Parts: sequence; C-alpha cells; structure tokens
Amino acid sequence: MKLSMGPQHPVTSHFRFILDVDGDAVLNFEWDVGYTHRGIEKMAENRIYIQNIPVVERINSYCDAIGTTLGYVEVVEELTGIEIPERAKYLRVIAAELNRIASHLYAVSLVGISAGFETMLMWTINDRELILDLLVKLSGQRITYTYPTIGGVRWDMPDGFKEDALKRLDYLEKRLEDYYKMMAWNRTFQMRFKNVGILKPSDAVKLGIVGPNLRASGVKADVRKDEPYEVYDRFDFEVPTGKNGDSFDRASMRLKEIEQSIVILRQALKDIPKGPIKGSPKGSKIPPTAPRGEAYSRVESARGEFGYYLVSDGKSKPYRLKISTPSFRNLPALPHLCRNVPLGDIPVIFITFDYIPLDVDR
Amino acid sequence: MLSKVRERLMNIKFLRRILNWGRAWSLWSVHLETGCCGPEDMGRACARFDTERFGTLPFPTLRECDLLFITGLVTKKMAKRVRMIYDQMPDPKYVIAIGECAATGGFYWDSYSVVQGVDRVIPVDVYVPGCPPRPEAWIQGIKMLQEKIKKEGIDEK
Amino acid sequence: MEDRVVEDVKASFPDDVLEIDVQRRGRVSISVKRDRIYDVGLFLRDKLGFDHIASVSGVDYIDKKEFEVVYHAWSIDKKILAALRTRIPRDNPVLKSLVDVWEGALYHERETWEMFGIKFEGHPNLSLLLLPEDWEGIPPLRKDFILPKRPQE
Repeated sequence: MKLSMGPQHPVTSHFRFILDVDGDAVLNFEWDVGYTHRGIEKMAENRIYIQNIPVVERINSYCDAIGTTLGYVEVVEELTGIEIPERAKYLRVIAAELNRIASHLYAVSLVGISAGFETMLMWTINDRELILDLLVKLSGQRITYTYPTIGGVRWDMPDGFKEDALKRLDYLEKRLEDYYKMMAWNRTFQMRFKNVGILKPSDAVKLGIVGPNLRASGVKADVRKDEPYEVYDRFDFEVPTGKNGDSFDRASMRLKEIEQSIVILRQALKDIPKGPIKGSPKGSKIPPTAPRGEAYSRVESARGEFGYYLVSDGKSKPYRLKISTPSFRNLPALPHLCRNVPLGDIPVIFITFDYIPLDVDR
Repeated sequence: MLSKVRERLMNIKFLRRILNWGRAWSLWSVHLETGCCGPEDMGRACARFDTERFGTLPFPTLRECDLLFITGLVTKKMAKRVRMIYDQMPDPKYVIAIGECAATGGFYWDSYSVVQGVDRVIPVDVYVPGCPPRPEAWIQGIKMLQEKIKKEGIDEK
Repeated sequence: MEDRVVEDVKASFPDDVLEIDVQRRGRVSISVKRDRIYDVGLFLRDKLGFDHIASVSGVDYIDKKEFEVVYHAWSIDKKILAALRTRIPRDNPVLKSLVDVWEGALYHERETWEMFGIKFEGHPNLSLLLLPEDWEGIPPLRKDFILPKRPQE
C-alpha cells in the first residue's frame, strides 16, 4: 500500500514522503521534495554580487544563516582576491559559532518533540532565545542576519557584548548537563533512539552524507579542521564522532558540538584583535565585478558542508552559482535506511538527520 | 429547524458577543510551514513569547483547527496543497499571512516558482510584514485578528 | 599531494585528459573527453580515494553551444577536491551517468537533468525533483530561460 506523509504533518514540515507499507513495515521510501523551491541559483544570475548576499542567505535562513552567507562571501572573495581584516575574521567565527549553537538547539528541540519530550522543546527553544539575543546585539536581526559581507562584516561588536556572551555561555554550559539528563542519559529516550537507523561509515561516505550525520557514523570529516577557513586553525577544539551511527548518536552529536562551539567561542572572544572590520586598511574598495574564472568554497555550517561553485565571466553578475547544500546531500540517507523498518521509526530517523526543506529545495 | 433556531439565537447581540469572544480566544493553528518564517513559528509558540496566552495553540491535525498561518513564501507546488488544506479546515477559519513573501512575493519577485502573494490562492485576514517578522509582530497579528472576530456579525455604527 | 594526483591521472589516461591543473591548494581540475568520464571517475574513486561526492553542476555556455558538467569529489584522506569536467553539445545533451561510481550523485544528477535537460544515461530515475509537477517549457537554469528584469525607474 502507498502511504503519503506530508506536507502538512507535524514531523515532515514541507516534505512529503511516499512510503510503500505492508502492515506496519515500511518497504520503500521515496522523497517528494520541492515544496519550497524558489530557484535561487537562477535568481543569483539576475543580481549583482552584493545583492546576492541576502538572496543566498534565504537558502537556510531557517536556522543557520551565517554559515550559509559565509560560504558565498568566501567564494566571491576567493575569486576577486579580497583580503579581509583580522577582526572581521574573528567576528565571522563568533557569529558562525553562535549561530551553530542556535541551530543545534533547534535541532535538539525537534528531536525532543518527535519523541514526545515537550519539556525538551520548551527548554531548548528558550535557551536558543538567549543566543538569538546575542546575535540581535551583533546584527540587529533574529534570524536573517546578512552579517558577513564581501570584504568583512557589517557591524562591530557593541559595548559589553563580550561579557554578556561569556555569561550566557557559562549558563548554557551548565544547562547542557540538564539536556544530557533529559535526553541522552534518559532510559526512555535511549530505548527509543538506540539501534534505530544505523548508518555504517562506509555507506555514509558512499552516499555522500555530510556534517554531524557523517561524524555520528564515526568518520572524522569537518571542514573547520580539514580545510580551515577564516581563523579556525588558531583554535584548539575537538571534532566529536559517534560510534554506532544510529539515531541516538546523531541526536547526541548536536549536544557534543554545542560543547565544542562554546570552547571555540571562549577562545575567539579572548583573542579577538582590535582594528577595522571591513575592507583594506586604506578604505574599503570592493570591486563591483569578479574576474573571469571559477572558484569552489567549502564551509562547515551547522548541518554540514556547504559548497559554493561560482563561475564568473568577468561581468557584475555571477554567470553560474551552484550551491551544494548539506540537506540536499543528506537526501540519499533516508531511502537507504528506511527499508523494512516499522512505520513508527520513520519520524525518529528523519528528525535526527536534521533536514531543512528550504535547504534541500533552494 | 435547528438551523433556524440557531440563526435566531445568533441574531441576539449578547449571545453573538459571547460566541465571538469564545472564538477569538481559542484560535488553534494548523502546523503548516511553507517558508523561512518557520523557526519564528516555534519561537512564538514556545516559552518566551508563548502565544498560548492568547489562545493560539499549534495543533497537528487541521480538522480541529481554525487558524492557518502562512509562514513565508508559497511556491506553485505548495499553493495547491495550501488550497487543499484550507478547504479541509472546518468553518469558521481565518488566515494570517506572515512575512513579505506571503503578502506580495517580496524577495522572490523574479522567481519562476513562487506565487506572488498567497491571497491569489486563499483569502487572507491579517498580513504581518517583516522578513521574518519578530514574534511580537505575530502576537500583534493575532490580536488584530481577535479584534476582527469580535466584531463579526455585529453591526456597530 | 595535488601534483601526485595530476601525475597519476596523466599517466593513466594520456589521451583522454584534455586539460588538468592545480587551481590552488586542495583544488584539482580535470577536464576529460565526454565518453571517458565514467572511467576517469572510477579511477579517481578507486585508485586515488576521491570517494565523497560534493556536487554535480551544469554550466550553460550558450555562446559556444555547449554544456559543461562538473563533478566535484572530495577525498577524505587526501583532503583534496577534484573537479571532473566534460563538455557536451547543447543540441544533444547526453552523458553517461556516474551513479555507479558515486551513489550520492543520484539526486544531484536528477536535479541537473531537470534544471538543464541533460540526460544521464543509466540513471535509475530521471523525474522532476524540485520543479512543480506540471512544469512545461525549457529547463529553468538554461541561459535562454530569462527571468523578468527589475523595472527601470
């Protein structure tokens, strides 16, 4: 029997699944995506480089706007050869890591609600507000920041930001233990999530899975370590990996990454140098056109690796901007895992992969 | 027979007011997310902004809901489903369009797959501008809808 | 490290590689003949360890009446991104599918098919992925599909 799940469904949000079911067992899983397809790659060809920043941001303004924008501004900077000031690099890292925490808290809240832990949802979303407050102080917006710009960042840190941030990070670190108690160390949660949807490391690499989902399978691959962009090579942090690659590992991977983000943020806030935040020291001269050529930039956003492939023909608008998004690259995982599993496990497996529909559809 | 009695009762202003008051404070919203205002939907429903104070509770099944939030852009593929969902909701039903994209297409004015304003698909009661609007703006939208509902069926001149 | 990759590919496919260079640290670009892309892809995966597919992009060079298809593959051990590319004529856009080489290319190729109309031979399911079900007309990412311009004031 064919069963259709979504797009109006508490778990699937904008996706639709087409499932072949036999009684309670799911035999085959098929995606129906595209409910939020906007054609951003085409729209990018219609706008000049600087206008494209907010457009590109809307790919994943859902949760991780900084990670998304960062990849785009980096690919443009690589092509045009713009150097950015030291302080701007640190500010980008700070914003990106704050956004990563916010995004992972959101993901954890969804994991909580899918398992029926409504308290988890309320806690994490409430603590996410604390991080969003910091981002509001930094950029003036709650979700769509448009903070990194070509040649630097838009705003400097306001007074008292550092102290405020450190205070909130201390609180969050204490709070993490509550999350572990509530979720990861909770027996009910473990029974529900352990040994469900096991993704082997060889399969994960073969299918092209990225981000925390790949690391949960035990593969150590993080763009921040492999190909450090901005100033990530100056910080001392670990890349957590999972053991079994099951839903439990993927869910708890988010909590572990929040810990590491706090570690990075403390170092970045301590080391941040003084200086300009935009353009070269003599004044910001950002060329309106990019030279003929191509570049590919990789950025580790909260959901995984963003890839921007930019082809320029020397004019003021991109000739082609291909955006390879993490959720899109994670798509093959679900049809691979959802064979001969009970129907009740579908939401659990789905939610731990942390798909964002806008990210898939672009 | 019953409907006639109902109609007559509803013509009594006092009873109508009570009914409207009840409706205005129990707007259960469908969980349908169409665009990038989605996380703010979570933000407004959870602890800090808590729209349940105003009776707006997100609810999974649309058959028991009377409020539809259009959270952001609506694509051509989604538009059919939005219409279907709207048709399935029981009367009376209300729609709040959140964000620029739901109101006019906004950001995606040149996109080939975005509907330029959700009011081409379903009727809209309240528009909330912003990209995305802050939860406070959502709350204001809900309050405006409540004011509208309270005046329903009552000719006040 | 990058030079080793360049040498290995050159040695194994002396006649089929049209252009190969190191763009910068960690980026290798390999341009091959259209009918040999499958073999080069297999070689990259099995012998050189480029096992993690990153993206499949089409580029429409309408002036030259050509499409370019670019496969970006990442090597987790070597930490190099290889761009495997080939050109196909615009009036006959057919290419052998590389799903057998990189299983993760499944959705990427499907997207390239619907956005450019490039047929991937041997792909298990070439159907609309992102576009509306009733989509008609030319694929949107081709250069002759023109979006409305901003009205001039």
